[in-house]
Amino acid sequence: MTLRKAAPVLALTALLLSGPPAHAGNTLIAKAQAVAVAKSALTITPDREWNKMGARPGRNSETWTLDGDGLNDVTFYGGIETDRTLFREVNKRVKPLPRFSATMLLPDIPALLENSYRIALATPLMTIESVAPCTFAGAKGVTFTYRFTRPDEEVRRKGEGYAAIIAGKLYMATFEAPDIYYYDRDIASFRALAASARIGATPNP
Amino acid sequence: MRHGLFAAALAACLLAGVPAGAQEKSGSKPGFTLPPGSAKILLIRPSITVGAQSTGGMFEPNADWTAQARDNLGAALAVAQQGLGNAVIVAEEPIGPAATTLAGYRALFSVLADSVIRYQFFPGNRLPTKKRKGAFKWTMGPGVAEIAKGTGCDYALFIFDEDQYGSTGRKLLQVFAAMAYVTVKSGEHRGYAGLVDLRSGDLVWLNADQQMGGDVRTADGAQKRVRQLLENFPGSTPTAAPAAR
Repeated sequence: MTLRKAAPVLALTALLLSGPPAHAGNTLIAKAQAVAVAKSALTITPDREWNKMGARPGRNSETWTLDGDGLNDVTFYGGIETDRTLFREVNKRVKPLPRFSATMLLPDIPALLENSYRIALATPLMTIESVAPCTFAGAKGVTFTYRFTRPDEEVRRKGEGYAAIIAGKLYMATFEAPDIYYYDRDIASFRALAASARIGATPNP
Repeated sequence: MRHGLFAAALAACLLAGVPAGAQEKSGSKPGFTLPPGSAKILLIRPSITVGAQSTGGMFEPNADWTAQARDNLGAALAVAQQGLGNAVIVAEEPIGPAATTLAGYRALFSVLADSVIRYQFFPGNRLPTKKRKGAFKWTMGPGVAEIAKGTGCDYALFIFDEDQYGSTGRKLLQVFAAMAYVTVKSGEHRGYAGLVDLRSGDLVWLNADQQMGGDVRTADGAQKRVRQLLENFPGSTPTAAPAAR
């Protein structure tokens, strides 16, 4: 291949390596107003202001944060259907993500998240610490806690999640933050969000 | 989770040619001042990693380069701290549980600084709650006082430095990409210096740059880097920079 012919190929490679454009458009979530989240029927009524990240982890999910997703990350999964992953595939051919199925039992949901994280973050350091029944979005659900560390960081993170399967679709909210200071400071704010979750409630205009 | 999936994408975007002038490089808590001779500062052992950047942009740490950088930056800091305007005490390396605590806070500083850069200094990605006038509200929490127990210090100075030198393959890719008018950065040189109030845990000053100068593998380069890291340090005298030479 001549230099002239090689240039476009290398340029394309460079484009691929340089990633997508920056996701702008982080927006303010006002307090005390119900909002539909994750392009679904799931609505949340926050009791304080949050920031909604412009970038979504997947088609039916969205992330809210107070100080940046590295410090406090709330992710809503809205109506994940059978045979869908929780978030975008990282390497579908080599390491496909596990898929949700409406036939799953509620205690299977924490394991679905655990296995998805282990693949997507390429970390063996992800463990579910507790699982218990709860009510989420007005339905019988499961709540769980977890810990994980990303392979390229030394920060230990703790997480908590609430999930329910409603009409064959998975609805879930997770919170994660560094175990130093941030988790303890913000967990109450997340629990307030989770407690306000409803399905099909009409958001305020 | 979103953090994991998009960190790389945003980093790539930052590296792929966002004009340097578009990004702020330092910030401080509104109203914060540090008069010379008014406080004791605890210098936490800097986090330093040096390595190569592969053709595909992956980081490959190099132990020899990192050791060289540690020595050079350590020597440059020893000189520079004399011009900071306040007494600087170098933190001793703790052992046992205290070492775990310090490692935790050092790691938290890295994430905190990263968040300030992405969501406050970078205007295109700023969080709405961080856009408000005078908003510079970032903290490590009051528990950070634990790392300075018994030192009598008022502030802790954290320093983070990561250098990725472009490999030959990366540099070639950069050249070929340029022929097709595509910008590819070869090498990445990130450095942050942050001052934390040990009573509240609040970040009172942060200086951060994603494209720092100076080759930290050499003594001269390390001095240049330290000057950049501590540029406009609160309470420092204008002569502080040349003192590092």
